[in-house]
Parts: sequence; structure tokens; C-alpha cells
Amino acid sequence: MKDLFRGELVRLTAEEPDVRAKVEVHWQRDTEFHRLADSNPAGMESEKKLKAWFEKRNEDGFKPERYPFSVRTLDEDKLIGFFGLWLDLIYNEAWVGIGIGEREFWGKGYGTDMMKLCLQYAFTELNVHRVSLGLHAYNPRALRSYEKAGFRLEGRTRGDVARGGEHHDSLWMGILREEWILMQNGEPQ
Amino acid sequence: MNDILKGALVQLGAVDPDEYSKAFAHWRRDSELMRLMDASTTRLDSQKNTQKTIEKELEDQKVNQYFFTIRTLAEDKLIGDIGLNIVNWAGRDAFVGLGIGERDFWGRGYGTDAMKAILRYAFMEVNLRRVTLTVFEYNPRAIRSYEKAGFRHEGRMRGFLNREGKRWDELFMGILREEWMENNGNK
Repeated sequence: MKDLFRGELVRLTAEEPDVRAKVEVHWQRDTEFHRLADSNPAGMESEKKLKAWFEKRNEDGFKPERYPFSVRTLDEDKLIGFFGLWLDLIYNEAWVGIGIGEREFWGKGYGTDMMKLCLQYAFTELNVHRVSLGLHAYNPRALRSYEKAGFRLEGRTRGDVARGGEHHDSLWMGILREEWILMQNGEPQ
Repeated sequence: MNDILKGALVQLGAVDPDEYSKAFAHWRRDSELMRLMDASTTRLDSQKNTQKTIEKELEDQKVNQYFFTIRTLAEDKLIGDIGLNIVNWAGRDAFVGLGIGERDFWGRGYGTDAMKAILRYAFMEVNLRRVTLTVFEYNPRAIRSYEKAGFRHEGRMRGFLNREGKRWDELFMGILREEWMENNGNK
């Protein structure tokens, strides 16, 4: 069986509240990153508060509906990003949130590698039926990366995000288990 | 769609801590019942303690548990309880536990009816793929009831229990969604 926690460029690690808070302090200063990854207004939080937030998220231990990961590069073991899967247990589907906080790792295939690990985990370990995600229409790099990982564009909500004095669309993507399995077998989509 | 929590004789209802702990404190005095339902040592407990335990359990009830009372359709009488405990979401398997506390309702199809209702709930609402149960060798009435509800024998732990100077097996039974669908699809 494949190593679930190791890709070609990155490996997955547990979310450690203190480590995660430390990098988040830096990442949150990058408002472009924030606006790409999040739909809440950009803000600043102290390391203490961030740590408390990550601690609270992890305090009850494993939850069957939540799977958070931190992501490190294979060559330098540098913490560059995160992703999390949130399951609807009844319908057996997952939503994914993903981000790379370290800019120098944008556009180099790290995100795609992370998403491949994410889908492998979702479909071969969690056995979900589908994985969904949402993104901002002004993030074409992410759109391309998700398409490469196998997601299909499924919908668009028009003008639901207001930023920089303009309204922007949100995009919704999904991948079904059958589609992912076909991809693993090398069949064209 | 029909009322999925309603059978032919019973319906599955909410668990009210006051009502349920009163009933359970009463049922647990029946040591035969307790030995049929539970492998742990049969003990007595005050209603107050029973209520505390149950309230705590209900409070802790998370996404993994679906717990119901069993009530007669005829008189809305609380006669027992039934619950699903999902042990592995990725496998989509749940353990089911069932007890009819009121002896007058033993051997008359009430348990089977409740089990049929919870299987429909498990497969059609919670979208599980299998349901598992354990039952003790000395409880042939329950074994027959589970067979009637569609469970198949899958295994046994030999000599699992020691009761009345004798060792007894614990039996494992299970039902897959496909098997359930064969008999209940489109209903």
C-alpha cells in the first residue's frame, strides 16, 4: 500500500498548535494570501490567540468529521502550508480547505502535490464518495491546480464576495470517487 | 416516503432523561434481563445515579451515536431502548444494541419490529453499509429475533462469559446493506 503521508514534494504532519500558530503569525501578514485562501476580512491575531484557537480545535482529540494536516517540504522539512478535510458523515462526502502560506512555494506544483495526497487520503482511507471545494474566481492558479488534481468545475455563485470595492464570484468544484479511481488507472477524464 | 421510525408494533422515540432513567432503574432490578443485555457484572443502582449516568451519556452523545426509546404504537408505552453506535465511519459499520425492558413484551415480535425499524434507519437515513451485533449463546429468543430481522451468523467468541458455573459463547451477527435491500428495497 502507498504511503498516505508522503508525496513527491511534500509530506503530511500532524497539526501542532504551537508550531502552527508560529507560522500563522507570519502568514497572516500576507493579505494577498489571506484573500486567496479565506473569505473573511483579513485581520491580525496575536500568536497567543492563534495558539489558543488551534489548541481548541484539537482539544477533543480525533473527531470522525475533521482531519487537519500540516504540510512540510520533503527536501528541507519546511512547514509551508496546511489542508483539512471536513466530512459530512451521513452523506459520506468531504470538503477540503487548503493553503500554502509560504509564497516562494506558489506555482511550483507543491499545492497540486498536497491535493493529490489529500484526495488519496479521502478516497483510500476515509472512503468518501466525493470531495468538494470552493474557491474565489480571482484565483486562477488554484483553479488550474485543482483541475490538475482531478476536480471539475460544478458551479458559480455570482458576486457573493466583495473585495477591493468590487464583487467577485465564487467557484465550486467536486470530484467523485469513480472519477478519481479512473485517474489513478491513467484513464483520460 | 413513509415514517421511517415507525414499525408495525412500535415506533422509535426520543430519549427523555427523566422518563428513561425511571424506566431503566426499574428494568435493571430484573437480573435476568440484565444478563441477557449486558456482559458486565449485573448490579443495582439508585434511580438518581442511573439518571446521572444516562444524562451524562446523552450529553456525550456525539455524531457516532443514535439512541432511541422503543414505544408501543397501541399505547405509546415505553418498553425498551435501541441504539446504533458507529464504530468505524470509513467502513460504515455500526453496532446495534437492543433491549426490551418490559417482560410482558418479550417473545411477541416487539423486539423484531424495533430492529427492523432501526435497520431501515441505519441503511436508508444514516447510509451505513453494515450493522453488527453481539448476542449471548443463552439467549435463543434474541438470536431467533435477529435472524428474522435479517442478520446472519458470522462468528463466536468461545467461552466468553462465565455464568451460573458454566462458560457461554458470545455470537457475532451482521447484515449488509445489499442483503437488507434484497428484502426491503423500494419499500
